[in-house]
Amino acid sequence: MRFDQATAVVTGIGGCLPDRVLSNQDVIAAGALGTSDDWIRTRTGIARRRHVDPCTSTGDLAVAAGRAALESARASGDAAEYRDPDLLVLATSTPDHPCPATAPDVAHRMGLGTVPAFDLAAVCSGFLYALTTATALLRSGACRAPLVIAAETYSTILDPQDRETAPIFGDGAAAVLLRLGPPDHPGAVLAADLGADGSGHQLITIPAGGSRLPAHRPGADPTDTYFRMQGREVYAHAVRRMTQSARRALEQARWTPTAVDAFIGHQANQRILDSVAERLGLPATRCFGNIHELGNTAAASIPLVMADAAVQSALAPGARTLLTAFGGGLTWASVALTWPAAPVRWRPPQPPPPHQSATRPPGSPAWTRTPSSSSS
Amino acid sequence: MDQDPVFQQLVTILTEKFEVPAERVRPRATLGELDLDSLAVVELYVTLQEHWDIPLDDSAATGELTLDQVTGAVSELLRSRDHGAA
Repeated sequence: MRFDQATAVVTGIGGCLPDRVLSNQDVIAAGALGTSDDWIRTRTGIARRRHVDPCTSTGDLAVAAGRAALESARASGDAAEYRDPDLLVLATSTPDHPCPATAPDVAHRMGLGTVPAFDLAAVCSGFLYALTTATALLRSGACRAPLVIAAETYSTILDPQDRETAPIFGDGAAAVLLRLGPPDHPGAVLAADLGADGSGHQLITIPAGGSRLPAHRPGADPTDTYFRMQGREVYAHAVRRMTQSARRALEQARWTPTAVDAFIGHQANQRILDSVAERLGLPATRCFGNIHELGNTAAASIPLVMADAAVQSALAPGARTLLTAFGGGLTWASVALTWPAAPVRWRPPQPPPPHQSATRPPGSPAWTRTPSSSSS
Repeated sequence: MDQDPVFQQLVTILTEKFEVPAERVRPRATLGELDLDSLAVVELYVTLQEHWDIPLDDSAATGELTLDQVTGAVSELLRSRDHGAA
């Protein structure tokens, strides 16, 4: 897809990170994992990650990131009519509840009234799927100022004893506010590429808890409600699909790889990112990431890199930026945009509403039924 | 084997991309013995797929494979492709 006339322009960027920092050693100790700090760093590039406290949900991070994006838009001085979101898309694979979607509650808590709000599930490609969807809705005239939030709390679905996933994932959220603008405006979305291949759906999955295998079915294995990933197989798919998708987006944008000022890939694994960048011919000086500090924050990873102060200071508004993601589904997506001029704002996680604050016992994964909850 | 273009290409990839010392690259050495971990083995397979444009099965890629065996798998696919095209 090429957006060569009026298109979506990013007018606000906000982020939210939980305070709790876990080192590799913390994760190893919590799960009695047979691995080491050096092994995790060498294999993934990850040194630490953030986890929410047991009473904080994805929605709590999303509300904070959304509010921060609106503060950013206010600080950028854009016209008032473009600072009030009239549509909310929440990219997440860790919703507050299997049903209903989390987005309506986020919109309600943000005081957005009755604007349309829906979740978008494309796992780690979620932000770019949501950004592309919002761009299309904006260009169609369906909305004036869509708010795109990506929020995840993978700590609530991780098996602490699973060496394949426990060290990899972290929690966080980030959001962008959009409005229609010319393609030469900083922050303009110029091209996108989306794709999916369901033949690999089992490679990244939560086996139980959906209609295929309800968690309450007699004999269900409670550990099947944990997130699972076959990392080695995913590596090959991710490298191939991210490279192909990035090339298609570049072609649509009519950019050569040498024209790209900044490459931000989904922060899945540093070695995947390096492999994709090498295939695209992008030197390390033009690759930006935060995996060392935040791990893989799934849908939130790309907008969290965009909100990173170091990245903000390194890139000037208008810089040609290539975003590429790969995730469960399998899904992949790429977006070519120019670097936004909006000043980033951050907020701490929004405290949960009082009536929702004690629905999960401390330390328990969100969707795992415990003996005590089953019998009550 | 030393004159086999598939083996020679494998040697080139191992020494240039994976920085394996040339003196350690022998037909009977396993990928693990050359210090390729499991992700590096997959990366090697993806690189070979791209170089030769063949559907080399990366799910079968392990560090226990010898360079002989990797060369054989690539050569077999190349033969099948050439035979199919003939």
